[in-house]
Amino acid sequence: MDNIPSISLHELNSLIRTVVDESLPRYLWVRAETSDVRVNQNGHCYLEFIEKDASGKNVVAKARGAIWSNIFRMLKPFFEQETGQAFTSGLNVLVQVSVDFHELYGFSLTVQNIDPSYTLGDQARNRARIIKQLEDEGVLDMNKELKLPQPTNRIAVISSPTAAGYEDFCNQLQNNQRGFVFYTKLFPSIMQGDKTEPSVIAALESIYEHRECFDAVAIIRGGGATSDLSCFDSYLLAANCAQFPLPVITGIGHERDETVLDIVAHTRAKTPTAVAEFLIGQMESLSGHLLDIQHSLSKTATQRLHEEEMRINATLAHLSYKYKETMQRQSADITKLSVLLKNTVNSSLSEEKHFLEMKEQHLRLISPQNILKKGYTLTLRSGKIVKYAGDLDIGDGITTLFADGRIESIVQKKNK
Amino acid sequence: MAKKEKTYTEALQELKNILAEIENDDVDLDILIKKTKDATQLISLCKEKLYKADQEVQKLLDDIE
Repeated sequence: MDNIPSISLHELNSLIRTVVDESLPRYLWVRAETSDVRVNQNGHCYLEFIEKDASGKNVVAKARGAIWSNIFRMLKPFFEQETGQAFTSGLNVLVQVSVDFHELYGFSLTVQNIDPSYTLGDQARNRARIIKQLEDEGVLDMNKELKLPQPTNRIAVISSPTAAGYEDFCNQLQNNQRGFVFYTKLFPSIMQGDKTEPSVIAALESIYEHRECFDAVAIIRGGGATSDLSCFDSYLLAANCAQFPLPVITGIGHERDETVLDIVAHTRAKTPTAVAEFLIGQMESLSGHLLDIQHSLSKTATQRLHEEEMRINATLAHLSYKYKETMQRQSADITKLSVLLKNTVNSSLSEEKHFLEMKEQHLRLISPQNILKKGYTLTLRSGKIVKYAGDLDIGDGITTLFADGRIESIVQKKNK
Repeated sequence: MAKKEKTYTEALQELKNILAEIENDDVDLDILIKKTKDATQLISLCKEKLYKADQEVQKLLDDIE
C-alpha cells in the first residue's frame, strides 16, 4: 500500500482551496434562500443558504454563509428600507458572494452585497401565488362581501398590547368629536416575525368563539421602525381572514404594496389611526342617514298636515257655500209659497164675496117686499096665504097686502 | 321591552317603511300621527345605539377570557 501515491487531508484541502480560488471569479451573484440567520455579539451575521426543489419541501443545496459586521452594518438597514422587510430567515435573496474554502472550516460563502429588488420581486411572486390560490378556492373576496353591521362599534382588536398604535387607535375612538360610542376588546397577538401567523390566527379563533359580541375585527400594528411585513403575506392567515364571519379591517402601518392580508381584508387602512377614522366615518354616515330620514319624516308629516288643513278648509268653505245656497233657496221658496198662499186665499175670498153678493142680490130680488113693490099683492085669510081663488068663499073676509100697507075686503063674487 | 331587542338595521328598515307609507297622500291623518310618533321613537332608539354607551355591552366584552 505504501507505493500508492497519496496526499494529506490538509494538502487536499489546500489543493481544493487553490482550485476554488483560481477557477472561480472573485465575486459571484447567487440566488438562494436564507435560513438559520443569527447575529453574534460582534455584529457578524451567520446564516445558511439553501435551495429547495420545485415542491418547496426538499432541500437540494446548502452552503454556510457569513456577512461580516462591517458589511452587515450597512447591508441590513439598506435591505430593510428597500424591501420593508426584516433581514431574516426564509427570504429568497440575490447576494453577491465570494466563495471561500478554508482547510479547517471548509466551504463557506462570504456576502459582499445584496440586491433587494430580487427579494421584492420574490415577495410579489409569493403574494401573487397566494392570491391565485385563494382565488382558486373561491375565498379571496369573501370577507369583502360581508356587509358592515349597523352600527359597527363593537370592535375586536388584534394588536400587540404595548404598541403605540393600539393606544392611538383606542384614544381616537374613545375621544371622537361627535361622541359616538365604541366598545373595544383587545386580543393580544405577536405582530412581527415568524410567530405572527399562528398568533394572529389564535386571536381570530378566540374572537370567533365570541363572534356575536362583535361587529368587526381590527388588525393593527403601530408604526415603529420598518420591520417584517412578510408575515402578513401568509396563505394560512389570509385564508383565515378571508373566511372570517366578521368584517376584518387592517391597519398594519405600511406605505408599501399591500400585503395579502390587506388584500383579503374587508377594508384596508394604512395605520391604526386610519382604521379608527374609518370606523368613525361609518358612524358619521349612519348618523347622517338617520338625520336625512328624520328630516324627510318631519317634512312629509308637516306637508301632509298642511295638505289636510287645506283639505279641511276647502271642505269647510264648500259646506258654508252649500249652506248659504240652500238657505237662500229655501228662503226664496218660502217667499214664493207665502205669496202664492196669499194670492190663493185672496182670490178665493173674493170669489166667495162675489158669490155672496149675487146671492144677496138674488135674495133681495125675490123678497116678498120687492115683489109687492112691483105691483103684485098677497092675499091672506085668517093670517094664512091664499094661493087659489077657489079656496075662497063668498062672504070670506080677506086681507090684501100691498107694498105700502093692507086693506080688508069681503068676497062678493067668484068667477071661474 | 320588546322594543329594546330591535336591531339598528331593523329599526332603520322600519323607519324607511314608515317614510314610504306616509309619503303616500292617501294615508289617514290618525295613522300619520301614530306613524310619526312611532318613527320618532325609532329615531331615538337608533341614536341611542350610536351615541349612548351601554354598560352591559362593555361588561360583556370585559368578561371575555
